[in-house]
Amino acid sequence: MDGLLDEFGSGDAQARAESWRYSRQALRALEQQSFQSADANVSVPQALIDRFDWPQTRGHRLVFVNGVLDATLSDAGTSGAIIETDAVGVHALRFAGKGVMHLVFVNVATAMPSRWNAAVHIRVESGKAFLVEQHVGMQGADMLGALASDFTIADGASLQTATLGDLPGSASLVRRVGVTIGAGSAFGATHALCGGRFQRFDIDAQLTGAKAQLAARGVFALRGREHVDVHLDVRHAARDTISDVLWRGVADGRARGILHGAITVAPGADGADARLETKNLLLSPHAEIDAQPVLEIYADEVKASHGATVGQLDERALFYLRSRGVPLAAARNLLIAGFCRTAFSRIETTDLRGPFEALLDAHLPQQVDAGE
Amino acid sequence: MTMLKIENLHVRVAGKEILKGLSLEVKPGEVHAIMGPNGAGKSTLGYVLAGRDGYETTQGRIEYDGKNLLDLEPEARAAAGMFLAFQYPVEIPGVNNTYFLKAALNAQRKARGESELDSMQFLKLVREKLAVLHLKEDLLNRAVNAGFSGGEKKRNEIFQMALLEPRLAILDETDSGLDIDALKMVADGVNAMRAPDRAFVVITHYQRLLDYIVPDFVHVLADGRIVESGDASLALRLEEHGYAWIAQRKLAGAA
Ligand SMILES: Nc1ncnc2c1ncn2[C@@H]1O[C@H](COP(=O)(O)OP(=O)(O)OP(=O)(O)O)[C@@H](O)[C@H]1O
Ligand SMILES: [Mg+2]
Repeated sequence: MDGLLDEFGSGDAQARAESWRYSRQALRALEQQSFQSADANVSVPQALIDRFDWPQTRGHRLVFVNGVLDATLSDAGTSGAIIETDAVGVHALRFAGKGVMHLVFVNVATAMPSRWNAAVHIRVESGKAFLVEQHVGMQGADMLGALASDFTIADGASLQTATLGDLPGSASLVRRVGVTIGAGSAFGATHALCGGRFQRFDIDAQLTGAKAQLAARGVFALRGREHVDVHLDVRHAARDTISDVLWRGVADGRARGILHGAITVAPGADGADARLETKNLLLSPHAEIDAQPVLEIYADEVKASHGATVGQLDERALFYLRSRGVPLAAARNLLIAGFCRTAFSRIETTDLRGPFEALLDAHLPQQVDAGE
Repeated sequence: MTMLKIENLHVRVAGKEILKGLSLEVKPGEVHAIMGPNGAGKSTLGYVLAGRDGYETTQGRIEYDGKNLLDLEPEARAAAGMFLAFQYPVEIPGVNNTYFLKAALNAQRKARGESELDSMQFLKLVREKLAVLHLKEDLLNRAVNAGFSGGEKKRNEIFQMALLEPRLAILDETDSGLDIDALKMVADGVNAMRAPDRAFVVITHYQRLLDYIVPDFVHVLADGRIVESGDASLALRLEEHGYAWIAQRKLAGAA
């Protein structure tokens, strides 16, 4: 039975199998369980509300509980977005001019394993929109959430996104987003993915207009047996387009991280500039990270570079910190956190650095010596 | 009353013997200069003193304040007052300079049983020390040494020394790559810290630094040991004659 693969995969059977090869086991394990449709009429514990109730986004917030928009927790009165919901519960957000929106997806476990699906369309017609997407949840019976989004950025507009995956060990998330970036427009994305049993992130971005720009940053910081699989597919389909991808991965224990970054420069997309860099840190001999940059170029006068490294903590840096008096464990934590933070350099509002850094600090992977 | 006593030290790095019977004694208040050809083992000595992994002592001993230094972890040595200004300071992207220095200073204070400084007290101290070295405050808000120019890195080392107030500071070629003004600032920084209870070991290739930081003793380290010691005038003679002169004198002495 390929139920979940059919549901979440795209392309023909071979493409699906290839794209999911590192996560096929994780998906099979989920297929073995019987999930019922998640109940959205559940009360959200205050401790969970506190995690997304940020003063800076009050009035700019939509909260989905187990996939369903929750009217009492949501207040988007001053977000600048026009919000429409269709008959099957698909939400469309339109921004024209400046807008800020904080989308929260809350996983509240019920007695039985359960799953939810949600879909959100976002269209930025003009000006600059800022979107925070946060996934939180509480430990309990297993949950599987699936979010399908698409972002359309009209010519000359800009969308900056910040995505925080902050899930308990019982929750899994499959999140697929398609991005269309028009002429002279910009898309920026910063991700911090932590926790969860299984997280799959697909970002399929098309630079469809001349001088369209994409900057994607992210980090997965994985502990124990966490498993995060990120697929970035960037397609340059117009002249003088720019893409810049920077990813950091850290894993301890038996955690597993995958970053697949594919950049295609289509015929005619002359003058494209594509950059992809991923650096990864393994803190345990049993942790595993697969970083696969793929670059395919079919146009002329293209500047392209990619690099992927997987390594251990820098012994020289560790010694430098210790020689100044920082104890070993603290020195390691400083280096691990610092390594991750280099992915946050593009976050535009300093308001948001805080939540990103707090998420990392709470989930920081650890290096433990054998025998400790 | 000796602060540091190194006796017949043999050190192996990556299976190769680098220090081959080095002895040196440093008392509080003294400034020792160490000169010597490239590859002689000067930086190796600094690393061994600071406690870097991978430096295996096969013979000899190092006493610091009467205790076996080799028993201590690098952070414990720092808390006991040891400081190494690196020949090649390490760039650490993502780690904020101020945050790191506050963590370092407070960890040292805690280890010594002193109270930790709060942010206000720490910043006050930082501003004081920055002024002495004419360092720009924005360097502090950047990642540790990341993207610093060669000279900025060296001045940052001395700034850290000023902040941490060690009792034994080893400066490994802190003068290399500095412009003349920066050299004077570094020398001023060191001279301002000279004190009866503090000692310096200054590794350098150039007499010029020793015009500003006048040493009590000058040693020549060649092929893993101290082959000649003297007062400040030894540096002048080295400048004039080069290291070959020492080798010749040794040969003449042996004949
Ligand atoms: N990790 C290592 N593996 C192999 N050889 C090493 C290692 N570290 C140092 N060495 C060797 O040890 C010798 C001494 O090096 P060291 O850096 O101490 O010299 P130095 O006196 O500081 O030289 P310089 O004046 O050029 O700074 C050199 O021959 C060097 O190549
Ligand atoms: Mg050296």
